[in-house]
Amino acid sequence: MREQRYKQKILVVDDSEMNRAILSEMLGEEYEIIEAENGVQAIALLQKYESELSLVLLDIVMPEMDGFGVLSVMNQRHWISEVPVIMISAESAFTHMERAYDLGITDYINRPFDARVVHRRVVNTILLYAKQKKLIGLVEDQIHEKEKQSKLMVDILSHIVEFRNGESGLHVLHIRMLTDLLLKKLIQITDQYQISRADIALIGTASALHDIGKIGIDEAVLNKPGRLTDEEFAIMKTHSMIGAKMLAELPIHQNEPLVKTAYEICRWHHERYDGRGYPDGLKGDEIPIAAQIVALADVYDALTSERVYKKAFSHEVAIQMILDNQCGVFNPLLMQCLREIADTLQEELRISAQAGENQEEMHEAVEELLLSEDLNAPDRLVELLDYERTKYNFFAEISQEIRFEYTQTPAVLTLSAWSAERLKLPEVIMEPMHDEKVLAISGNSDWKNLKREILKTTPQNPVFRYTCEISLEEETKAVQIIGRTIWSGDEKPQYKGVFGKIMDV
Amino acid sequence: MTLKECYAALGGDYEEAISRLNSERIVQKFVLKFLNDSSYDLLCSAMEAENYEEAFRAAHTIKGVCQNLSFTQLSDSSSHLTEVLRSGWSSENMPLMEQVKRDYQQVTEAIRTLQTEIEGK
Repeated sequence: MREQRYKQKILVVDDSEMNRAILSEMLGEEYEIIEAENGVQAIALLQKYESELSLVLLDIVMPEMDGFGVLSVMNQRHWISEVPVIMISAESAFTHMERAYDLGITDYINRPFDARVVHRRVVNTILLYAKQKKLIGLVEDQIHEKEKQSKLMVDILSHIVEFRNGESGLHVLHIRMLTDLLLKKLIQITDQYQISRADIALIGTASALHDIGKIGIDEAVLNKPGRLTDEEFAIMKTHSMIGAKMLAELPIHQNEPLVKTAYEICRWHHERYDGRGYPDGLKGDEIPIAAQIVALADVYDALTSERVYKKAFSHEVAIQMILDNQCGVFNPLLMQCLREIADTLQEELRISAQAGENQEEMHEAVEELLLSEDLNAPDRLVELLDYERTKYNFFAEISQEIRFEYTQTPAVLTLSAWSAERLKLPEVIMEPMHDEKVLAISGNSDWKNLKREILKTTPQNPVFRYTCEISLEEETKAVQIIGRTIWSGDEKPQYKGVFGKIMDV
Repeated sequence: MTLKECYAALGGDYEEAISRLNSERIVQKFVLKFLNDSSYDLLCSAMEAENYEEAFRAAHTIKGVCQNLSFTQLSDSSSHLTEVLRSGWSSENMPLMEQVKRDYQQVTEAIRTLQTEIEGK
């Protein structure tokens, strides 16, 4: 008996039963064939199987919704980056082909097709996609591993400095988190310094090295309990220049951004905005912003930590002392940042310290990936989203809410399985505003008012609420419709659609 | 009547079909199946109802199926009809529809003969 093995799934979308049958005949041995006879059915099946599908074979000319409509929805729902599409069509016009490629198809096969060619292209496309996913996963794991290693090295190094210093290992961690929080606030309130997200990560890592110069300071001075004499203080002050010198004399890696940033931080994290700091007496924005930020973070952490010569001040007192210029003079913009993060700062530091850094890093890695445009969401992220989606669906189902999703072009309304059953509507509806069954659910004036509410939303205020009556299971019920409009990320945001739910009131 | 003779009778290209679909068995299976395809009926009723959009899709489907099976003659006439329907129908194009009808009759007659002989064996 032949071993029963898992077959990858191919969705064949074609209005001709004959054509679907021919493709099934060609591919059915190796793949599980799922068939759809028009675009609307295809969308419903894509929604059901999503990334379980290995490939879509798509016809162009079909009733209900054509192949281009399917591709548009696949783009809007981001399925196109997960599931490859091969278009099969009797349309040989170049414009069709070009448009299909623009919409993200992998391949285009003209009818009449050759069985061997179809087979080859299908196998190749599936293999290539599988390989690409695997490679993205590999690269991602390696980046992750590499980042972990280098973070670890920096942490060990800065711990060595602190160990000799008799400080708790938390100092470096605190500085990094404070630096991070201050920088994120800074880019919110001004674009004066042109700091990218990558820069924030870099400055955060480099901040750990701010005191490396202290390994060049005599231990008797470094760990002296009580106040330092002027002479001892002068020695102590040399640590910033020593640190900078060590970095400047690195035999290699001189051009690394991390080394350059760390140099700035080491050398200038004791400068003052009014020009009365050391070692160079730089003033205002002559002091690189990275060094200004670390200086502020350093002062805050020094105030709130216990030292051999002083007790720890409370968070509130420390903030007040800094804002009153009792501990140096800082850039007014940074003062504003500190004021704005002051309320949440303590809590954030506590949570970060408890959760450990890994979680924060992971979170940021995911955020970076979401923002990066040149990399498609890798598996780990997809898994994460899948998990969220499953969770969301589950909670929604048990809470018995009617949920909907609407895309503007093509005009498609999608309902969750449970909602569709309750409303006695199909799960996917084309042109819902012209659909008699949809329109019959509520009165004409209600639809108009609802539309007006939706049109009133903006990208800044995307949420709308509307109370009306709908007929549900042959009863008239008062409900509230809550929804959120979706907008494109363009400079001039375009209205893309709506999702929301219908609740009893 | 062999499959090859059937192709000759219906105005198709037997060699091309075999070379593309790679198996006599598959070609014969789908040739016989062509009798059950509803696109032609759909085309006729859509033309009757003057629903030219639907007629376009039906003609397009017939064209695609005929291309796949190398029914050259019907493929050509349905292709012409498709293009005319795409750009907007006018009654002076009726001869094209008549041509499709004739070609379709020729194809189905040939296939029915083949079917009878296969079943008679």
